[in-house]
Amino acid sequence: MLRPPPLRALLPLAAVASALPAPAAPHYLREVKPILTQHCVRCHGGAKEEAGLRLDTAANVRLGGASGSTVRTPGGRESLLLSVILDTHADIPRMPYKKPPLGAAEVAVLKAWVEAGALAPDQEEPGRFEHWAYRLPSRPPVPVVLGAPAPWSRSPIDAFILQRLASAKVAPAPEADRVTLLRRASLDLTGLPPTPAEMDTFLADQAPGAWERAVDRLLASPHYGERWARPWLDAARYGDSNGYSIDAPRQIWKFRDWVVSALNRDLPYDQFIVEQLAGDLLPMATVEQRIATGFNRNTQINQEGGIDPEQFRIESVFDRVNTYGTAFLGLTVSCAQCHDHKFDPISHREYYQLFAFFNSSVDDGHGGRRSRSTGNLTLGPDGKVDEGLEARVAEVQEKLEALFTTHAAALESWRQALPAEKRAAQRPASLRAALDVPWGKQSFAQRRSVYPLARPADAEFEGLSGRLAELQRPVPGATTTLVMEELPEPRPSHLFLQGDFTRLGERVEPGTPAILPPLRSAGPRPNRLDLARWTANPNHPLTARVIVNRVWQQYFGLGLVETENDFGSQGLPPSHPELLDWLATEFTARSWSLKALHRLIVSSATYRQASHAREDLALVDPLNRLLARQQRLRLDAELVRDTALTASGLLVPRLGGPPVYPPQPDGVMSLGQVKREWKASTGEDRYRRGLYTHFWRATPHPALAVFDAADGFSSCTRRLRSNTPLQALTLLNDQQFFELAEGLADRVLRERASSPLAEQLAHAFRLSTARLPSALERDRLAALHGQRLAAETGEPRARQRAAWIAVARVLLNLDETITRE
Amino acid sequence: MNPRLPSATSPDFLAARTRRHFLGRCAVGLGGIALASMLNQARGTSAAPSSPLAPKPTHFPARAKNIIYLFMAGGPSQLELFDHKPKLVELNGQPIPTSFIEGKRFAFMDSSHGTRLMGTRRQFAQHGRSGMWVSELFPHTARIVDELTMVKSCQATLFNHAPAKLFMNTGSGQFGRPSMGSWLNYGLGSECQDLPGFVVLQSGPRGPRGGAVNWGSGFLPTTFQGVPFRGTGEPILNLTRPTAVTADGQRDALDALRDLNLQRAVATGDPEIATRIAAYEMASRMQSSAPELIDLKSESAATMKLFGIEDQRPSFARNCLLARRLVERGVRFVQLYHTNWDSHGGPGENLQADFETVCREVDQGQAALVQDLKERGLLKDTLVIWGGEFGRTPMGENRDTTGRNHHIDAFTMWFAGGGVKAGEVIGETDELGFNAVRDPMHVHDIHATLLHLLGLDHTKLTFRFQGRDFRLTDVHGKVNHKLFA
Repeated sequence: MLRPPPLRALLPLAAVASALPAPAAPHYLREVKPILTQHCVRCHGGAKEEAGLRLDTAANVRLGGASGSTVRTPGGRESLLLSVILDTHADIPRMPYKKPPLGAAEVAVLKAWVEAGALAPDQEEPGRFEHWAYRLPSRPPVPVVLGAPAPWSRSPIDAFILQRLASAKVAPAPEADRVTLLRRASLDLTGLPPTPAEMDTFLADQAPGAWERAVDRLLASPHYGERWARPWLDAARYGDSNGYSIDAPRQIWKFRDWVVSALNRDLPYDQFIVEQLAGDLLPMATVEQRIATGFNRNTQINQEGGIDPEQFRIESVFDRVNTYGTAFLGLTVSCAQCHDHKFDPISHREYYQLFAFFNSSVDDGHGGRRSRSTGNLTLGPDGKVDEGLEARVAEVQEKLEALFTTHAAALESWRQALPAEKRAAQRPASLRAALDVPWGKQSFAQRRSVYPLARPADAEFEGLSGRLAELQRPVPGATTTLVMEELPEPRPSHLFLQGDFTRLGERVEPGTPAILPPLRSAGPRPNRLDLARWTANPNHPLTARVIVNRVWQQYFGLGLVETENDFGSQGLPPSHPELLDWLATEFTARSWSLKALHRLIVSSATYRQASHAREDLALVDPLNRLLARQQRLRLDAELVRDTALTASGLLVPRLGGPPVYPPQPDGVMSLGQVKREWKASTGEDRYRRGLYTHFWRATPHPALAVFDAADGFSSCTRRLRSNTPLQALTLLNDQQFFELAEGLADRVLRERASSPLAEQLAHAFRLSTARLPSALERDRLAALHGQRLAAETGEPRARQRAAWIAVARVLLNLDETITRE
Repeated sequence: MNPRLPSATSPDFLAARTRRHFLGRCAVGLGGIALASMLNQARGTSAAPSSPLAPKPTHFPARAKNIIYLFMAGGPSQLELFDHKPKLVELNGQPIPTSFIEGKRFAFMDSSHGTRLMGTRRQFAQHGRSGMWVSELFPHTARIVDELTMVKSCQATLFNHAPAKLFMNTGSGQFGRPSMGSWLNYGLGSECQDLPGFVVLQSGPRGPRGGAVNWGSGFLPTTFQGVPFRGTGEPILNLTRPTAVTADGQRDALDALRDLNLQRAVATGDPEIATRIAAYEMASRMQSSAPELIDLKSESAATMKLFGIEDQRPSFARNCLLARRLVERGVRFVQLYHTNWDSHGGPGENLQADFETVCREVDQGQAALVQDLKERGLLKDTLVIWGGEFGRTPMGENRDTTGRNHHIDAFTMWFAGGGVKAGEVIGETDELGFNAVRDPMHVHDIHATLLHLLGLDHTKLTFRFQGRDFRLTDVHGKVNHKLFA
């Protein structure tokens, strides 16, 4: 650490920096207005006019309030705006009042703007927001940076990054060594570390284009889809159970596999959006397109007794609207659920117009049925849908319902006349409970269990009930998956006063926020497909920016817009606005190809920098916003496991299929309300990638939870990266990690059976970190090996293995092993 | 926290050792010194508030330092325990006047919800100097009433278990918000170097509804989440080394791991590695401190008798004693869950024998906890909270037997120690026990008041997430100064 970068990297840039012109006056709408909006307008705006002052338009800023113009600088003195912000005013307290003072960078922007004459465009509307993210990205010219070092002219990305670095007089970091680079790209693109053979091939390839060849190989790997499905599944709040307190298991892994497959075949992102939001409404929708709509079925289902199903159906619609806002638009629309958005131009009414798009699906809030369909697609062993099955089930159910209605009066009097002791003798308890409920209020299942008691030997009932059981008998090899399906007639939607579904406001029709481009509808009433097409449009200001930012975030730890889930006025402005817009326009120009976007980023010199900390940046850029280096990133929960699996040689790389159950400590499943079983998989499923671990929302696998896996409750677009003692205990002591350490030890002893210890250690170190150990590192491991060999008892082979397990445990616990450098 | 003697696992000792090791063997002097300071910071010694768990200053002087929250999961019936309503007994079997229930929503609205009033069959008596009413079901608790502030006018918003429990813990019925204990550790840091700052203990026939989200950290870093200690086996998941590994083997591996991580820290300069080294040190200390914590051998026979702990089996009483031992060691927030208070009248949840059982399970332990904390001088710094996610209706509910439905308009909680009044009743319900007619205290107000006792202004304890500054109290909450001694 603390070593300055080599001088050769610094020199050309010093020249670049001095060649640049002085920074121009700050752009009012892009740089100044966001500061005023964030810190001042709450008290000095349309809602409140403290001291008669409004700061919501530049004209109002110039006009001033009770104390006069805020930006005039009489006789070269400081303007009122600056003096109150800097607390140099004699009478007025420091602004923002009783809030933290503005940051130095913000003050600098305001100062430069005032000094340049407080310029702003005419006809600015205070209500009509000029926030950058609501305007279409315009294609910026790629800056020309004079004297840029050769590798930095690789990609337009680098020109944008270098321009900022030059104006901050900071040199970029040198390129990382090739070993680090290949491990980085392998983890970033496939989530798996490189094998020694892959590393050797890459290191031996000294011809030009070696890097591009490696990147192409990784992008073509089927593991690319697995790696990049995970962040998307986080945003889609994927889980393998229903959530809430009962948390029963559900089948929706077909949706997970659809995401993996869509990414692997590089389905253009616009199509990716349309199929997930409205695949069911596409003309001649394929089974795959219907499976894609599972995106909106990753809502929780409350199966607790005594609930009002309508309340939880509405909760799931809220969740769909909020997830739509977060995942596709990067907007916190949920704020408008209860009131007009305080900071962004999304009204309470517009929220419920979005709500109306999602309010007409067949599923209810209790896991029950609302129509002939339950929104649950059944796929036969051949992967085909038995289209008529749901209708046949519904038909039999309706006949049974009719029978129940015919005999309702008789059944109720029978129930009331049933002697208490007979009632008490019934088994199971659910039947006893059903007998307590008046016939008119019993559920279908309750009636079906009570009916044969009251009317034994009713041939019609027996025929129908038997037929239903037959239809509902699981077909071996069949799978179900939750999908979206519209009711024949849309449900009316209303505004809910203060978000309370029992307080209906005015009726609303589907629509999109007025601040965004107008919606075009194919039919008389806009539906989800119209919304999907409206979203997946190059003329939408948010869609492309939001996704390129989230992809960028995976590579550098933070997005260009740090608040990746809030592109609204309360979010942070982009660190490199031109680069963001360039990437967004490039992305749509390249037919929304995600693989092209990945290739673009990974090819850049910016991406290929070393990640070591730089003392010279500690004060200038502690958060690495300028990107004068790469960033060490602790691996995501699933990849912590995948990396150890790969090192151990135990990984079973098969793609897709039902969730699996790697070992977990006893007692985890009893933490939820309903105790559920976790029977650890044996055989191949024990060693599948973390992506496939069955995800119980109420009791997630502790090794996933402890490394900050998304919780599946709401859309998650950025995981935390915590660093805790519980993580240490997991890697040290958890059974699955111990098994993997055994695997690594056995593998080294197998693959380097007759090699000297130093070579064995080098091999093991390489399997874990991809690089060779330094002499110091190797000696330290040799010392451990010697210590343990001396301490262990038993026959030589067992002692040797035990000593090697100790070494392997250390290697799998290394910070470096679980970090992408 | 008790004064700590220097020991081989104390942070100072380890810091000195790693520094010596580093300077001695790695021979990269300058880097070593910088690293040592990095390590100190990561370890969160009071001098360097850069660790997320380092103790942090309060907004104003605190009245309490720790909380022990006795969560009665399922919603205990205040009408059988604390809220004495002779009029309700008198009107037993009468329909409730419609003015009470018009426009209200209840759980199980369609099926078994009753509308007839039901008086309690339990005998009530006044106790202590304060003359507080307690029923015959809580004879031990009746002894400590003069230590309690009893609030009879608590109110909640949600009436289904899982969302209501979340609401009581996080101030919201939505999943994904941080729990109270997480907020406190985020706001105040931890004063314990070898145990987590937020520990959860559970007893009763099943886990609380909603499970781990009740003590989750939501959008706060997972550093702040509650760590459930288990009643049997190892107290923390993965606390015990794998069976094939000896104590020496573990130590040797940890030493080698630390040395290699240090070398990488020097090579990369990444402070996250220092944090990870510190995390392994804490993990290693927890491997001895947590078993020591749950080993009750050092407790006197008199203490065991006071709590009524007779054997090794997990129980609420045992958890109460563990809670005292945790706050003794500086753990900020200890939460005990005890099920099963959901007295609808169905099998296993009737208001007769089942209710007596659950009362018996908690009564002696909770009274002993308050008494024991007081005798040890810990009660003044420790706030004890008792209550469920809601209460029960004055109307009976007919299932197998008669029980009571969920009720959110008025229920009872009590508080002890930690700067609250001793022997005080706050709030009052109407003569049927349906509505709070004096000093209603909503869950948000309870949260605001608790934070205040710990020295935190609930409007200032915020975390920015999804473009909004979130609080435990959302946009609500009034501090109720009437509770304060």
